[in-house]
Amino acid sequence: MFELLSENLDDFTAGLWVTTRLVVASFVVALVLGTLAAALRVAPSKWLNRAGAVYVEVFRDTPLLVLLFISYPGLRRSGVEIGAWTAGIAALGVYTSAYVAEVLRSGVFAVAKGQGEAGLSLGFTQGDVLRRIVLPQAARTVIGPLGSITIAMIKNSAIVGASIVALPDLLKEARIVNSNTFQTEESFFWAAVGYLLLTVTVTVFFRGLETRYAVRR
Amino acid sequence: MSFEWVWTENNLQFLAEAFLINFEIALISMVLALALALPLALLSISPVAPVRLAAKTWVDIFRNLPLILMILFLALQLPDSLKAGWQDNAPTWLPEALRSQFVLAGIGGLVLYNSAVLAEVFRAGILSLDRGQREAAAALGLRYREQMRLVVLPQGLRRMVPATVSQLITLNKDTTLVSIIAIQEVVRSGRILAGTAGNPFAGGSAVEAPILSVMIVIGLMFVVVNFALSRISRRLEIQQGRRTATTEEAPPVAEPAPA
Repeated sequence: MFELLSENLDDFTAGLWVTTRLVVASFVVALVLGTLAAALRVAPSKWLNRAGAVYVEVFRDTPLLVLLFISYPGLRRSGVEIGAWTAGIAALGVYTSAYVAEVLRSGVFAVAKGQGEAGLSLGFTQGDVLRRIVLPQAARTVIGPLGSITIAMIKNSAIVGASIVALPDLLKEARIVNSNTFQTEESFFWAAVGYLLLTVTVTVFFRGLETRYAVRR
Repeated sequence: MSFEWVWTENNLQFLAEAFLINFEIALISMVLALALALPLALLSISPVAPVRLAAKTWVDIFRNLPLILMILFLALQLPDSLKAGWQDNAPTWLPEALRSQFVLAGIGGLVLYNSAVLAEVFRAGILSLDRGQREAAAALGLRYREQMRLVVLPQGLRRMVPATVSQLITLNKDTTLVSIIAIQEVVRSGRILAGTAGNPFAGGSAVEAPILSVMIVIGLMFVVVNFALSRISRRLEIQQGRRTATTEEAPPVAEPAPA
């Protein structure tokens, strides 16, 4: 068991590194797009609200695997020269952004209404109220949910490697090791350990953030 | 981007029938996962420490692993006798896709993962119940089993209905993963239609069906079904808020982690 790990350590660490980069890059995309979608949902216009709601609903309800088929072979066959990394990050990022948007929106609504009203009556502009009063408080309540989204993302990243996009991530490398050694149980075991390592790290990280910044309501 | 293929021959019907396979896989997996999740949840709040620890470890491991890892592992590792046995002996009234030798691995993975996720939802639902409920039941002289069966579970389980419905949405999407182990559900059928799967028995559509537009149509099918489910889930949540609001302050049951 440990023999398999030590003999193929390079493959496993390379896979772990690809998974890590994929998750970090997609998380940034998800955060940016999610924030934009959440902004649409709380904007003072009914049409913008609707556009935000449609965005969230569509990408939350579509399977990630289908998004990957759209972003990679779909676009390539339509003449868009998109690389495997870009396609994988775009699909995982867009998919996750819908969840991020929901979390951010409910975070904004969790801030008591009086906070914003007090800001307005003190003469802050609408934008200032959002930026200086509501968002800083909302940011604290969303730490925990963002943590569970990140964990879901680590798990979902394995779909990118297993799909037609075929990035050499941890699961993919484990499957390569398996096809070289025929030691299925050991190969998958070490891949599972790698994923648990990532999820545990993220859990600890977000728990640390939470104890530091979160407010108990 | 051309959508002409949608109205050509019976392409749309071909996809719709395959989509039904996904829904069937989701329902079968959901029923089995629910049946497994309840005992898992009860074990993970057991008063016996070793039992509790073992059950919690099991649940925490399997809900934190990628589902596709479990599906691929089972597809490789289930004994051939079992796979062949299913292929040869599966009831003939089942759709052909569900008689594939890999169905056990696909459904097995979905059940393993979702039972762990749902067990955690159940556990949270049970623990969110006011302690006084259990204590009152104990004061009335009920045994542990009776406290659970008559007092705790009927209330706890009801709270988890919305979360369970939203987990069904996730499960629905996850059924597409079995296309990776060659079960002919909607994504695989879509690839056949677009002529990218290289299936010798279905040579693609007479009118060219670009993979981009095929996948967009498949995505919309999921949006329609899952949107309906999320509406139902939301309505149940509101109903529940109303029902429990008067009797006690109900902390909302944790939503299952997004997946």
